[in-house]
Amino acid sequence: MKITRWVGTALTLAMLSTGLGAWGQTVKVLAGQSTTDAGIEDLISKAVTAKYPGIKLDWEVVGWGTDFQPKMQQYIQSGLPDIMVGKAQDVATYASKNVLADLTGKPYLKNALDAAVGSGTYKGKVYGVVFNALYQGVYYNRKIFKDNGLTIPKTQADLAAIIQKLNDKKITPFETHFLDTWSIGNITNQFAINDVFNKAADWGDQFRAGKVSFATSKPFQTCYQYNKLIYDNTWKSETFSLEQTKADARLVQGKAAMKVSGSWSIQNFFDVDPNFDFGIFPFPNQTGDAKLIYEPNITFLKSATTKNSDAVDKVFEVITGDKALAAAIYDQTKTAPMIKGVTPTYRNPSQADIDAFAAKNQIVDANIGNNQLTWGGFQEENAKDIASWLQGKLTFEATLKASDARRANSKP
Amino acid sequence: MHTPTGFGPRLQSLSLVLPGLVVFTVGLVIPMVIGLYYSFTSWDGFTPELPWVGLDNYLKMLGDENVRNAWGFTLAFTVLNTIVQNGLALLFAVILDSGIRAKKLFRTILFLPCLIAPLVAGYIWARMYMDLNFMLFGNGDTVLMGLLIVNNWQWVGYWMLIYLAGLQSIPPELYEAAQVDGAPRWTQFRRIGAPRWTQFRRIPLPMLAPSITIGVVGITVGSLRVYDLIVSATGGGPGRSSMSIIYQIYNTAFSGKQYGYGSAISVTLIALLMLIAVVQLRVLRRREVQQ
Repeated sequence: MKITRWVGTALTLAMLSTGLGAWGQTVKVLAGQSTTDAGIEDLISKAVTAKYPGIKLDWEVVGWGTDFQPKMQQYIQSGLPDIMVGKAQDVATYASKNVLADLTGKPYLKNALDAAVGSGTYKGKVYGVVFNALYQGVYYNRKIFKDNGLTIPKTQADLAAIIQKLNDKKITPFETHFLDTWSIGNITNQFAINDVFNKAADWGDQFRAGKVSFATSKPFQTCYQYNKLIYDNTWKSETFSLEQTKADARLVQGKAAMKVSGSWSIQNFFDVDPNFDFGIFPFPNQTGDAKLIYEPNITFLKSATTKNSDAVDKVFEVITGDKALAAAIYDQTKTAPMIKGVTPTYRNPSQADIDAFAAKNQIVDANIGNNQLTWGGFQEENAKDIASWLQGKLTFEATLKASDARRANSKP
Repeated sequence: MHTPTGFGPRLQSLSLVLPGLVVFTVGLVIPMVIGLYYSFTSWDGFTPELPWVGLDNYLKMLGDENVRNAWGFTLAFTVLNTIVQNGLALLFAVILDSGIRAKKLFRTILFLPCLIAPLVAGYIWARMYMDLNFMLFGNGDTVLMGLLIVNNWQWVGYWMLIYLAGLQSIPPELYEAAQVDGAPRWTQFRRIGAPRWTQFRRIPLPMLAPSITIGVVGITVGSLRVYDLIVSATGGGPGRSSMSIIYQIYNTAFSGKQYGYGSAISVTLIALLMLIAVVQLRVLRRREVQQ
């Protein structure tokens, strides 16, 4: 009797588990997020479940800057999740390792802007669905600019005049939070995009070939020196102790006039004052032709070895095809759309400036720099040296030499 | 004494040891051997190939300024932390072992911080320093002091309990004997307050030697492995001013995609940890008094 009961229970459990397996399909997702992306996983899960109740997304969310690459290293050895969510620059990094599925010709790519498809392409094949974009440049407090008769600078001389005027008026010219060393890396890359990569698109390749170096490149040295310009015109004694939200609040409160940053700061601005009026311009370069930087951001990648290929395609179809979902994500992250026919509804006072630069074709893709010199292990390490130099712990020559010394780690 | 002989008792002994041996081998020995192997390769952590480079990683380490800096910071942190934390823990233990009032309350207050995760502690203190305009973390010259304050705030209570247990396990007969032999009344510090150093040196200090061994070795090893506090408090900065060796290993192996080189740095850390632990145990155990 006992044996019969046990066999019966086992059979019932087996039938139940088989039934559940057929009904539900779990798709594993590794999401490398920036702080502004937090919560989009819930929006996506809800939208996917609404359209495909049989698909369940199992999310693992990590910080993109700190943990995404280590996780990818780990998973490449043990088996990748079905979907990875990274940045557009990850397309080149991981497609070159043959771990991403080729998405070329997938119907859902028609939902994305041509620029998005281009940013997700590596060696002629599409490996990533780019979902949104950021803008990077100098955010400025419009009221301060207006009250002091300041206009958007085009040259370094213009910028110097603005800094002088602000200092005379006892207004801190630049808001910074160098506690976050990544912010030094980010602004240095912004400078380099306009002063180095816009002039020599293959600078990184030349660097690896030993034809150029930081120690001999005047343009790159100038980019490093811009950090000093900013450091000399910010709250020097505090910046290495100040975190972003507190620093951003000061720009909104009128305690500083400008901040070299990206769209990720907008959330913070609105948290302090939803009516804050701000604009954006490119940090002036040496030749006076700096462009506003556009960066393809959140990018969905599919594992080359996924066993849930159809389900992943359905998820990508929802992400690119559900306009309400896309709009909700753009509104939450305060970013620009890369999906056709979706207009975010959040107030963006800097949009007028973006449109003006776009109309003059003064927009440049951040990946011209990111695809030349990798972030992890190179740009972020250089940023640490720049911080040491600013604090007087390293000479300028030693800082350049340190960048040259990690040449072998510079390839994305 | 009867010693079991023959296959049966041996099998029985082996079956008792085997689970621990398997866990030790799988969890410790095998990863260490694999790590050692990686240290002789230039593996980036991604590719299936592990290119053999012999001793190149170790030679590279000798000239690596960043590794040298990380070791410098870690050793400074370790030495200062071991001295300060042991000293404070012992001091608080002696005070709490005396006749002061509300000792349970003080013990609880001192112990509570070690229940907080170091990541959270680092974050809280970074915010607090910032809000109080006390910029210890923002300057390369003061960041070590700032981290020592946080680390000691968090762990002094834990080590204090070890010392307190040691003090409370000293047989009262020793104090009674001291009293009978005419030692001054204040040598009975457990009741009337903290003793003077000369008296403290003669009775409780030798009896505390096992606790001191645990404290010194534990704090030294813990300090050499400091990581999570630094991640949340300073991120290794400003610049590289608070980059610990474990943080350097993590950055090198993962962000820097130099898994082989990171493994080589790990090997030197493990070697140093073992060396320090062995030396400390030998030196300190010689001073221990059998109760």
